[in-house]
Amino acid sequence: MDKSDIGQEERLLRPIQETGRGFWIFAGTLLAIGAWGVFAWFNQLRRGLDVSGLNVPVYWGLYITNFVFFIGISHAGTLISAILRLAHAEWRRSITRAAEVITVLVLFFGMSCVILDLGRPDRVMNVLRHGNFTSPLLWDVCSVSLYLTASTIYLYLPLIPDIAILRDLIPGRRWLYGPLSLGWTGTPRQVHLLDKAISVMAIIVIPIAVSVHTVVSWVFAMTVQPMWHSTIFGPYFVVGAIFSGIGAILIAMAIIRKAYHLEDYLKPIHFNNLGLLLLVFSLLWFYFTFAEFLTTYYGGEPMHMTIFLSKTEGKFSPLFWTMFVTCFAIPFPLLANRRTRGTVWGCVVASVSVEVGMWLERFLIVVPSLSNPRLPLTAATYIPSWVEWSLFAAFIAIFMLLYAVFTKFFPIVSIWEIREGRESSVREVSERVESYLPGGAESAS
Amino acid sequence: MSLDRRHFVGIGLGAAAGSALGVPAGRLFSEILSSANNSVYPARGKEGHCLSVCSMCPGGCGLRVRKIGSRVVKLDGNPLHPVNAGRLCPKGQAGLQALYHPDRIPGPLRRVGARGSLASFEKVPWERALEEIGGKLKALRADGRPESLVLLRRNGTDLGTRLARRFAEAFGSPNDVSLDRGDEAAAIALQLGQGVRATPVYDLPSADYVLSLGGALLETWNSPVHTMRAYGAFRQARTGRRGKLVQVEPRLSGTGASADEWIAVRPGTEATFGFGIAAVLLAEGLYDKEFAVDRTIGLEDRREAGGAVRPGLRSVLEKHYGLEKVAAETGISVNVILRIAREFAAARRSLAVGSRLGPLLPGHLSEHLAAHTLNALVGNLDQPGGLLLSDDVPLAPWPALPAGPAAASGRRQPRLDSAGRGDFPLLASDPEQLAEAILAGAPYRAEALLILGADPLLTSAACDRFKAAIEKVPLVVSFATLPDDTSLHADWILPEAHFLERWDLLTTPPGIPYPAVSLSRPALEKPLRDARPAAEIFLDLSRRVGLESAFPWKDLPALLRSEMDGLFSARRGALMGTPFDEAWIRMMEGAGWWVPGYRSSDELWQKAQETGGWWDPFYDHGDWKRVVRTPSGRFEFRADVVAQLASARPDEASPAAEPARPPGSLRLLLFEPLSISGGTGAELPFLQGLLDPGEEERWETWAELHPESASAIGVKDRDWVRISSPRGSIDARARVGHRVVAGVVAIPVGLGKAEGGRWAKGIGSNPLRLVSGARDRASGLPDFGATTVRVARVSGPKRASSSERRA
Amino acid sequence: MARWGMVIDLDRCTACQACVVACQVENNVAPSNAGQAEAGRAISWLRLVPIQGERRGTRPDLQLIPLPCMHCSHPPCIKVCPVQATKIDHEGLVSQVYSRCIGCRYCTTACPYTVRHFNWKKPEWPAPMEETLSPDVSVRPRGVVEKCSFCHHRLQRAKDKAQAEGRPLKEGDYLPACAESCPAEAIVFGDLDDPRSAVVRLSQSPRAFKLLEELGTEPKVTYLSKGEWGGQV
Ligand SMILES: Nc1nc2c(c(=O)[nH]1)N[C@H]1C(S)=C(S)[C@@H](COP(=O)(O)OP(=O)(O)OC[C@H]3O[C@@H](n4cnc5c(=O)[nH]c(N)nc54)[C@H](O)[C@@H]3O)O[C@H]1N2
Ligand SMILES: Nc1nc2c(c(=O)[nH]1)N[C@H]1C(S)=C(S)[C@@H](COP(=O)(O)OP(=O)(O)OC[C@H]3O[C@@H](n4cnc5c(=O)[nH]c(N)nc54)[C@H](O)[C@@H]3O)O[C@H]1N2
Ligand code: SF4
Ligand code: SF4
Ligand code: SF4
Ligand code: SF4
Ligand code: SF4
Ligand SMILES: [Mo]
Repeated sequence: MDKSDIGQEERLLRPIQETGRGFWIFAGTLLAIGAWGVFAWFNQLRRGLDVSGLNVPVYWGLYITNFVFFIGISHAGTLISAILRLAHAEWRRSITRAAEVITVLVLFFGMSCVILDLGRPDRVMNVLRHGNFTSPLLWDVCSVSLYLTASTIYLYLPLIPDIAILRDLIPGRRWLYGPLSLGWTGTPRQVHLLDKAISVMAIIVIPIAVSVHTVVSWVFAMTVQPMWHSTIFGPYFVVGAIFSGIGAILIAMAIIRKAYHLEDYLKPIHFNNLGLLLLVFSLLWFYFTFAEFLTTYYGGEPMHMTIFLSKTEGKFSPLFWTMFVTCFAIPFPLLANRRTRGTVWGCVVASVSVEVGMWLERFLIVVPSLSNPRLPLTAATYIPSWVEWSLFAAFIAIFMLLYAVFTKFFPIVSIWEIREGRESSVREVSERVESYLPGGAESAS
Repeated sequence: MSLDRRHFVGIGLGAAAGSALGVPAGRLFSEILSSANNSVYPARGKEGHCLSVCSMCPGGCGLRVRKIGSRVVKLDGNPLHPVNAGRLCPKGQAGLQALYHPDRIPGPLRRVGARGSLASFEKVPWERALEEIGGKLKALRADGRPESLVLLRRNGTDLGTRLARRFAEAFGSPNDVSLDRGDEAAAIALQLGQGVRATPVYDLPSADYVLSLGGALLETWNSPVHTMRAYGAFRQARTGRRGKLVQVEPRLSGTGASADEWIAVRPGTEATFGFGIAAVLLAEGLYDKEFAVDRTIGLEDRREAGGAVRPGLRSVLEKHYGLEKVAAETGISVNVILRIAREFAAARRSLAVGSRLGPLLPGHLSEHLAAHTLNALVGNLDQPGGLLLSDDVPLAPWPALPAGPAAASGRRQPRLDSAGRGDFPLLASDPEQLAEAILAGAPYRAEALLILGADPLLTSAACDRFKAAIEKVPLVVSFATLPDDTSLHADWILPEAHFLERWDLLTTPPGIPYPAVSLSRPALEKPLRDARPAAEIFLDLSRRVGLESAFPWKDLPALLRSEMDGLFSARRGALMGTPFDEAWIRMMEGAGWWVPGYRSSDELWQKAQETGGWWDPFYDHGDWKRVVRTPSGRFEFRADVVAQLASARPDEASPAAEPARPPGSLRLLLFEPLSISGGTGAELPFLQGLLDPGEEERWETWAELHPESASAIGVKDRDWVRISSPRGSIDARARVGHRVVAGVVAIPVGLGKAEGGRWAKGIGSNPLRLVSGARDRASGLPDFGATTVRVARVSGPKRASSSERRA
Repeated sequence: MARWGMVIDLDRCTACQACVVACQVENNVAPSNAGQAEAGRAISWLRLVPIQGERRGTRPDLQLIPLPCMHCSHPPCIKVCPVQATKIDHEGLVSQVYSRCIGCRYCTTACPYTVRHFNWKKPEWPAPMEETLSPDVSVRPRGVVEKCSFCHHRLQRAKDKAQAEGRPLKEGDYLPACAESCPAEAIVFGDLDDPRSAVVRLSQSPRAFKLLEELGTEPKVTYLSKGEWGGQV
C-alpha cells in the first residue's frame, strides 16, 4: 500500500495532520470544564456524598441517572455498526468508526459514574474480592466490562489498516502507530483474517450489547420497588439505549462533518438513513412507554399509582411532559417528514431533543420511585448539588475532549473501508442484487 | 486496605489525568480517603453499673447507669424501680447528651460585661465566687433585710431544691417561689373536694373506662413513664378486659391519637363537656347512690340554719349544663354526650381525669373540678381503678430551724409574689406577680435572686417582664448547668452538677400511689466542667453566711443517711425489688406482717444503693380519714364553685355565640411535645430530632391550623406564617390539617431559646412571647388560652439546604 | 436454633419515641443538627412513621408505627448487595459488615421498608460527647450503610453471660435497647421458634399483621393492631 493510494481519501487525514487554533480553544475550554470537575470530585472525596443533593430516601440521583444514560449511549456504536456491518448496509462505511469510538469512551464514563456514586470508592475492589453473584450490580460489572472489552477490540480491529497507513505516512508518530499496527501490510491473508475477525466480533458484540442494557435495567427491575419491578424493563431499556445511541451518532456526525469539512463523506443520505432508524426507535420508545404506563394505570395499584401520578401530574410532571415532548413530539414529525429528515439540521434537532428526553427518562425512572417510598416517611425532594452537576458537565466535556483527541490521532472515517467500498462494493452489491433476482447466480453470503 | 487504596489511586489517577491540579495526587488521595475512617474509640476500663435517678423531669424514674471505666455510656431504667420498672422515656434516654454536652458552663462565671451574652462572663474559682456571694448575702442579713432574698426554683423533691428552700427559710426569707406549677390545678381541685392539697393519683391499670378532659395522659402526665406503663396495662395486660380511653380536647394530641375516641370540643369547653356528662348521670340516675348518700355532701339542695336554700350540685348542673346548652357550647352532638355518659356509668370501673397538668392550660381548675365531680358521682374515690392519694414518706425530719429573731421577722414579711393572699388565696407560688413586684420595688426591694433549675426568661408566662425585673436586682445567681436564657442575664452562674454527678434522695414523684424513696449516687467520681451539686453549694454558703447550725451535716451522704434512718424506724415498706418481691410484700403487709429485706438501718442504707431505694407497695383502699379531710369528713360537691365557674363562662350569657372575629384572628393553644416539655430538651440533639412524630416536624416551630381557618387567610400547608398578639409576634411553619378544630392555632412550646447550647440556640421560636397576662379566675394560674392572635402568611426564612420535606 | 423476632403492640404504643432515642444511644448513632436534618442526612435506625388509617369523617385517624428493620426472612436487601456486606445469619439476624460495604446504596433502594441508612458524612461527636460511645458497637465510617441490627451485640453479651453461668439462654436474656426502654411495654422480643415464647403467643393474636407482607419478604417484626373496647385483648 503506497501513499498515492490514499490520494482520494486525503481529506480524511487532514484532521490528523493539521490542527488549527479553533481546536486548541475548543480543547482548552473542555479541559477547563474537566478540571473544574476534578475539583468537584476532590471536594466529594474529601467531604463524602454529603456534598451531593442525595438524601433519605432518594439514595440515587444524578450519578445513577448518568450511569444509565451513558451506558445507553454506548449502544450507539458497536451495536449499530455491528448490525449495519452484518446487514451489509453499504452506507455504513463512513459512520461506523465515529459510532464505535462513542461506545468505547462513553462506557468508560458510564462505569465511572458508578464509582462516583460509591460511598467508599477506595473499596471498589471488594466487588472482585467478595463478589455476590445474586446482585444485579455485579452482573452489570461483568456485562459492562465484557462489553467494554469487546467493543474496544471491535473498534481496534478495523483501525489496524488505517493505523498502518498512518505509520507509513507520518514517520514522526511511528512510536505510536508502529506497535499498534501489528505489522499490517495488507497481505491477502491479513485481509482475510481481519475480515473474519471483524465479522466474528460483530456477531459477538450484538448479544453482549443487548445484554448490557438489559442488565442495567435489571438493577432496577429486580427490586420490588413500585414502577421498577417490571418485566418489560429489559427491552424497554435496550430500545431506549439504541434510541439515544443513534441520536448521539447523528450529533457526532454533524459536528465532525462541520469541523473537518467532511460533507463529502457524511452526506444527507447518511443522515436520512440514520434519521429513519431514529424514527423507528422513537416509535418503539413510544410504544414501550405507552405499554408501561398504561399497564400501571390500568392495574391501578396504589403504590404504583402514587409514582405514576407523581410523574404525570405531580411534582415530576414538568419533567415527564418535557420528556414526552422531546422523545416523541419533537423528533417524530421532524423525522417522519422526508424533507426535514433528509437535512442535517433536521436530524440534529431531533437528536439533541432525543438526548435531552432520554436523559430525563433515566432521571424519571431513578428518582420518582425513590422519592415515594412505600411507607410514608419524611420524604424529601431531590435537587442535585453543584458537585453533581459539575461532574456531569465534566464528564461530557472530557468525553468530547477525548473524542476530539481521538480524531487527532486516528481517522474518524475509516479510510480503508471507504476505499474498499470504492473498490469492491459496487460490484459486490450489484452481484448481490442480481442474486436476489430470479435467474440470478446463487450468492455465498 | 492498603491494596484497596493503591488500586483506587490508580483509577483516580487515570480519571484525573490531564487535570490542571499540579499536586502529588497519590499522597493527596491517601490523605483524603483516610478522612473517611473514624478513629476507633477504645474501650478503656472495665464495665460497671451504678444506680441513679433521672432528673430530666419530675417523673423520678430509677436509672441503671452503664459505665465503661470512668465513662458513662448508657442509661437504662432500673428494673427494680417501681416508678419505671426498667423503662425510660426519650428524655431519660437522651440524658447522657446533657451530661457530656459540649456547651456546659465551664465553671463559676462572673458577669463583667453587658447582660445577654455568654461572652460577658469570666471564669472565677469556686472559692472566690462563693466568698463574694456569701459575703453579699451575709451583709444583707446583717442589714436586717433577709426577706429581700428571693429563691426562684424548680419544683422537685431532690436534695438540691430541698436544701435551697431550707437555706432561704433559715436565711429568713418568705420568698420561696416555684416556677413550675404543673400540679397546682389538680391539687386545688382536690383540696376543694377532699380537703387535701396533693397531686391526685389515677389508678389507670385497674380502670376500664377513662374519660380524659384534655389530659396529656400519654405524654407529659405526672411521671410520664409510670403513666405510660399504667396505660399499657390498662390496654392489654388483663385477660379479657381492655380499657377504653376517651379524649376530650380541641387538638388531637399524642394521647388523642392513641385514644379510642377523640371528642373534638371547642377550645376551653372541656369542663363544660365534663359537667354536661355529670348532669346526665344525675338526670338519669346513673350515679353511685350509695356512695353519694354515705360519703358525700352537697349533691342536693340544703336548707341552711338561717332558712336560705343552699343549692346542691344537682340543681346547679340542671341550671347551667342542660344537654342542649352543653351541645351547643362544646360543638358535640347530644347523642354523643348521652352515649359517653351512659358508657361512663355502665363501665365497671370508670375514671375521669382532669386537664393537662401544666400551667399552660386555660381554665384548668374547672376541668379538674369536673373530673373530680365525675369521679365522686361514680364513687371511685380511693377505690381500685379510681382516684387515689399517695401516702407520705416516713423519712426522718430535718432538725427544726434554730430560733433566730432576725430570720423569724424576715419570714413574717409578706411574700413578694403575694401568693396565698389577696385575689388568689389558693395559689402557692405566683412568679408572674413576683416579676411585677420586683419591677415595682414593692412591698420591698428584692436584693438577691437565686435561680435554681428555672429559666423564667424563656418559660414564664411573663418572660419579658422577667427580663426587665432581673436588671433591678443587684445580685442574681443562676445555677444553670447548661447556659440558658436566664443565666445570660444573671450576675453569677454557679453551674450545678448534672444529676449523674451528685448524691440525691428523691421522694414519691407525682402520680405514684405508693410512697417511695429513690437513692442516687454519683456515677462520675467528680463533676465534669468544674460544676458542683446545688446541695453542696448551699451547704457551703450556709457556713459563709453563718447558718451552719441549720445545716448540721458533715456531708451529703451523711445527710441522706440520717434521713433514711426514719424509714427503718417506721417499720414498714421494703427495698425496691422485682414484681415477685412486690407481690410478696403486698401480701404480707396486707396480712399484717413486715418483711423488709433488711435488719438494720445500715443494711437498709447499703442495700438501698444496690436496689435503687425503698418503697411501700401496700395500698390500703378506703382509708377515709387519710384521703378525705374536709370539715364534714365527707367528699364535698362544691356546687358553689361550680356555679361560680359556670357563670364566669364567657358565653354563658349567649351560648354558642362566639364573638365575630376577623379571619386570621385565632385562639392560641399551646402544647408541650414530650421530648422538649417543661422548658428543657431542646438542648439535646436526639430530642430535637423527634419533636413530633405525627407532623414530621423537627428542629423548627410549627403552627397547626384547621383547613377552614387556613383557607380563610390563604395559608397552605408548609407556608410560613407570622403569629402576632398585642405582646409580640413569632414566625412558624403552618401545618394545615384536621388535628385541630377550626378557630385555633396550636403551637408547641420549648423552642426559641436565646441560649441552650449549639443545638437549641436560635432554633424555632417561643410562643410564650405572645401570651396575654390573663388568669384563670378561679385559681389565679396564668390563662394562656385567653390569648387571641392574628395569623398571616409571610415569606419563609432562607434555608441553606437544597431539599425540602414533602407536604 | 433460635430465630429472633419482635412484636410491637400498637394498642399499647403511645408514640413516645423512647425506643428511637434508646436505639440511637445504644448503637452509637451520631447526633444530628438542624441543617443535616433538613437535608435528609440524619440517621435513625428506628423511626415512627405515620400510617394513615381510615378517616373517621374529617378527623384524622393517626397511627404511628415504630419502624425498625424487619429482619426479613427473605430480605430483598441481601440479594442485591454486590459485595456480601449485608447478610442473614443462622439465627435470622440481618447484619451489616461495615468494613466491607462499598456504599453503593443498592440495598437502601431495594429495601421496601426504607430502614437502611447511609453515612453521608463522617459521624461526629463534639467533645466530650464521644465519651458516650459504647464499646460494643462499632462507629461507622463515612460512606457505608447501616441499619437496625436487632442489637445483636446484646445477643453476644447474653450468650456470654449465660455460658459463664453455665445455663442455656432463656427468654428475656436478650433484649434489644428499644424493647428494654419502651415505657408502655409495647415491644416484645424473643425466639420465634420457641413455642412458649411471648412473641409466638402474641403473633398468633387475631390482631397480628405484618407490614408489606404481600411482597414476600416475611418480616420477623409483627405488629398488633389497635384493639376494640370489649374486643380482643
Ligand atoms: N418527660 C417529661 N415529662 C414532664 C415534664 C418534663 O419536663 N419532661 N415536665 C412536667 C411538667 S413541669 C409539666 S407542667 C407537665 C406539662 O405537661 P402538660 O400539662 O401535659 O402540658 P402540655 O403538653 O403543654 O399540655 C398542653 C396540651 O393542652 C392542649 N391545649 C391547649 N389549649 C387547650 C385548651 O383550651 N383545652 C384543652 N383541653 N387542651 C388545650 C394542647 O393541645 C396540649 O396538647 O409535664 C410534666 N411532665
Ligand atoms: N418554652 C417553654 N416554656 C415553658 C414550658 C415549655 O415546655 N416550654 N413549660 C412550662 C411549664 S409546664 C413549666 S413547669 C415551666 C418550667 O420552666 P422552668 O421552671 O424554667 O424549668 P425548665 O425550663 O425545665 O428548666 C430550667 C433550667 O434549668 C436547667 N437545668 C436542667 N437541669 C438542671 C439541673 O440539674 N440543675 C440546674 N441548676 N439547672 C438545670 C435547664 O437547662 C433550664 O435552663 O415552664 C413553663 N414554660
Ligand atoms: S419520665 Fe422523666 S424521670 Fe422518667 S425518664 Fe423521662 S424524663 Fe426521666
Ligand atoms: S427490612 Fe429492609 S433492611 Fe431489613 S431485612 Fe428487610 S429488606 Fe433488609
Ligand atoms: S451499600 Fe453496602 S451493604 Fe448496601 S448494597 Fe452496597 S455494598 Fe452492600
Ligand atoms: S433492635 Fe436495637 S438496633 Fe434495632 S431498632 Fe431496636 S434498639 Fe435499634
Ligand atoms: S417506646 Fe414503646 S410506646 Fe414509645 S414509641 Fe416506642 S414502641 Fe411506642
Ligand atoms: Mo410544669
